[in-house]
Amino acid sequence: MRLEPTMKQMVMRRTVRKFAEEILAPVAAEMDATATFPSEIIQEMAKLQYFGLEIPAHYGGAGLDAVSYAIVIEEISKACAAIGLCISVHNSVSANPIYEFGTEDQRKTFLVPMAKGQAIGTFCLTEPNAGSDVSSIETIAIRDGNGYVLNGNKVFVTNGGMSNVNLIFACTNRSDKQKGYSVFIVESERNGLEKGPTEELMGMRGNPVCPIALDDCRVPVENRLGAEGQGLKIALSSLVGGRIGIASQALGIAQASLDVSLKYAKERYQFGKPLSEFGAIQNYLVNLATRVEGARLLTYRSAYLKDQGLAHTKEAAMAKLYASEVAVDATRIGLQIHGGYGYTKAYPIERYYRDAKACEIYEGTSEIQRLVIARSLGYGRE
Amino acid sequence: MDIVVCIKQVPDVPNIRLDKHRMTIIREGVESIINPLDCVALEAAVDLRERQGGRITVLSMGPPQSEEALREALAFGADQAILLTDPAFGGADTLATSHVLATAISMLKPFPDLVLCGKQTIDSDTGHVGPQIAEELDLPQVCGVNEIHLQGDSLVVKRLYDGFLDTFRVNTPALLTVSQELSSPHHIPLADLERAFSDREIIRWGLKDLSLKPEEVGLGGSATRVWKLHKAAPKRRGEVVTGSPQSLVEHLIRKLEALSILDEENGNE
Amino acid sequence: MKKTEMNSHSKGIWVFGDYRHYFQNRVTLQLIAKANTLAQRLGAEVTVVVLGEQVHQYAMEYVAHGADVVMVVDHPSLKNFQVETYSRLVAALVEDYRPEVFLAGATPFGREFFPRLAKRLKTGLSTDCIALEVDAETQLLLQTTPAFGGELLAEVITQNHRPQMATVHPGVFEERIHDSRAVGRIIYPEVDIHPDERVQLVCSRPEQSKKGYLENAAVVIVGGRGIGSGEQFQSLFDLAELLQGEVGATRPAVRAGLTGEDRLLGQTGKSVKPRLLITVGTSGALQYTTGIQGSETIIAINRDAQAPIFKIADLGLVGDAHSILTLLLEKLRKRL
Repeated sequence: MRLEPTMKQMVMRRTVRKFAEEILAPVAAEMDATATFPSEIIQEMAKLQYFGLEIPAHYGGAGLDAVSYAIVIEEISKACAAIGLCISVHNSVSANPIYEFGTEDQRKTFLVPMAKGQAIGTFCLTEPNAGSDVSSIETIAIRDGNGYVLNGNKVFVTNGGMSNVNLIFACTNRSDKQKGYSVFIVESERNGLEKGPTEELMGMRGNPVCPIALDDCRVPVENRLGAEGQGLKIALSSLVGGRIGIASQALGIAQASLDVSLKYAKERYQFGKPLSEFGAIQNYLVNLATRVEGARLLTYRSAYLKDQGLAHTKEAAMAKLYASEVAVDATRIGLQIHGGYGYTKAYPIERYYRDAKACEIYEGTSEIQRLVIARSLGYGRE
Repeated sequence: MDIVVCIKQVPDVPNIRLDKHRMTIIREGVESIINPLDCVALEAAVDLRERQGGRITVLSMGPPQSEEALREALAFGADQAILLTDPAFGGADTLATSHVLATAISMLKPFPDLVLCGKQTIDSDTGHVGPQIAEELDLPQVCGVNEIHLQGDSLVVKRLYDGFLDTFRVNTPALLTVSQELSSPHHIPLADLERAFSDREIIRWGLKDLSLKPEEVGLGGSATRVWKLHKAAPKRRGEVVTGSPQSLVEHLIRKLEALSILDEENGNE
Repeated sequence: MKKTEMNSHSKGIWVFGDYRHYFQNRVTLQLIAKANTLAQRLGAEVTVVVLGEQVHQYAMEYVAHGADVVMVVDHPSLKNFQVETYSRLVAALVEDYRPEVFLAGATPFGREFFPRLAKRLKTGLSTDCIALEVDAETQLLLQTTPAFGGELLAEVITQNHRPQMATVHPGVFEERIHDSRAVGRIIYPEVDIHPDERVQLVCSRPEQSKKGYLENAAVVIVGGRGIGSGEQFQSLFDLAELLQGEVGATRPAVRAGLTGEDRLLGQTGKSVKPRLLITVGTSGALQYTTGIQGSETIIAINRDAQAPIFKIADLGLVGDAHSILTLLLEKLRKRL
């Protein structure tokens, strides 16, 4: 069992960290304050294949393994969680499924521009009445001639406000709970697709999350991803990869919080001593450091298993569950350590605190992750 | 234009710590990086190749783990990477190091038009190796270059030295050492990094490949030897004062007076 | 005159005469003084080597500052300090006269000329030395140079090769006072000059004020990440104004948006050498301190008594920057 990164992975981490510190970190505070995502940042990242991380080079991607992928997401998220979210979602649940399940034509048409960062992707699953309960989605796709007509409303679409390619999860057969769903690739310009106003979020505010409505949106059959009825399979398999991405993102936020808190505790003096010499503070930091290390191991091990071609559904769920909870705790305790100053915008810890919470909710809530893990342990219904 | 860039893998010096008892550097947990000025040289080479065409060969003398630096250089844009490695090369001072590098360069076909080096390294800081390679290969040299222009068969280069901006015309083949202002190293695309580690080859040359004798290289080929190491004596008085803000400010004001930054207060009111 | 004119038993100590910017650049004079000390230990003479065009005046100066011999090669083609031409020429002189030790100032020219010369002579060279001694036992020159960014000092020796060469950091040694009654020989050795045509100096002009306001300031106030906000950073500007200084910042402060990149000091920013530098709320990371090491006096203010900045400060105040600055500004405004 290999626990140490390879030479390549170490160089990769250093390279991405340098880029993140020089180009991404400086814009993070402003992105959060103005809730904008600068297009220059997209261009800078596109040049380095950040939009095609696991896509093979001949489609314009970087061709990375899962461990390297996790490293990239972690380092980006450390600098700016909103950018980390954009990259993770675009890769794991938008570009990767097209690579995995698409025809060669679909790969040429959609995957190549996506890998090159010329087209940003989304995955539209959640609806007003369907969050964790995927089977209650109401978006339907009705076969009509050599195409489908889509109707429905999707909400909380990450990257929605700036996307070009949208994967829509729709119902194609109401009576079949297993094989009644399909995925459609719908371009943003297509007639019948309407984007709503960007949500006002608590955190990750730089990411333009918005609703997408489909109103008699007609798509040709060539835009269906995979076979009719394969939707659930596509969604579930992409979400596993997505979990590794979110675990890495949460890990990045947790590590960033830990780093700033360790530093602050050494510099801040009260009662004639630095905070780091008080047992209570030391305990907080020691516990956090230990748990971040645990999150790190869970995250990278699940990526490693994926690279080895071994089953990793349980491990990915555990990583996402654990890392997101550690991130929330690390930012909460980190803010507490920063005291009054932590409550102001002078320090980044309050942004980390607001960013971290989302990790426990999207791409499968912590409750859903627990269900997944329970099933893998043999509990819960089939 | 055939360009050779000499690089060195060095510890990430700003993060280095000292073992005060054994007087050595603690390398555990300190990453090894390409010497920052060598990255500037690589960027300049990539830029020249874009303007003129040609090939970039990157060379490094070091232990086997210098392979990491060479692969990073390949990802950066080098066409070919050669690692000069042999236990016999260990313990070399700049005289011996420049001999190994110069020998390797002289074996390249065709002989390069330009050899680029960083002006100095962050670990040894000597700046010797560039000029010493130039001497051995009988190449004209200009050190600390911050601009390079092509003019027919020659190069027009500038550098800021000793209070003057010098402009030189240099015939090729030549050796230049580069300073920070020459270029800003680009961020390496991930696909190139991935390829550098999976597909690309590192050529390895040892003592025999270079047809050198043991007494020409390593410790035996060196003229200088480090006899002792000490901790640098603090150059500053290091007076540290604590107390209330009032007393601290008093102390500070007295210091400013002592330095003649402030005139002393007149008389005793 | 040939070498037989000189005492061929003496172990010569040579100094390279870098006479450019003569009044500001005193390093040759400093080395002549040190060479005299070393010469006493070794029973040797001090010779200064001067190359150039119409350089007699410098030869006289060097005698007055302590040279026993000045070896002059005066020729129009030597007017510009040219590395390849000088290396060839000086190497020929060294091979004829066989000095024991050869020193030069670690000026930019010294640092690109001496390595090439040492290589030509296949001998050892240490660079930017901050100390030179003769070892009592071995009679070898002990050359102390900084390593790893100045954290360690290495004592280097050149055992089996001659001359023992070293470049020396300017300002380490003290020059001797000019003595117009000092006696010395000026000699003009015959030597072939082969100007190297492959490098042509096209032009050389004094540096533009690329050295801006920060590098020229006599007083610099620096703010680090410990300055909590933009408003508090403003107090540094107020202080600078009262002390007629300029304001700099560390990378973390710039990244936090407290001020602009043009005020950045350190490894990736500017280097300053003011008379007085007051550094506030900076921990003292090496990336920053390399930009301020040359300051004459450093005063540091930081909450953390363990902060590394205190090790490089002449005076350290442990306390809250905001309170100290507020009080300081109040007191200064009353006086000034």
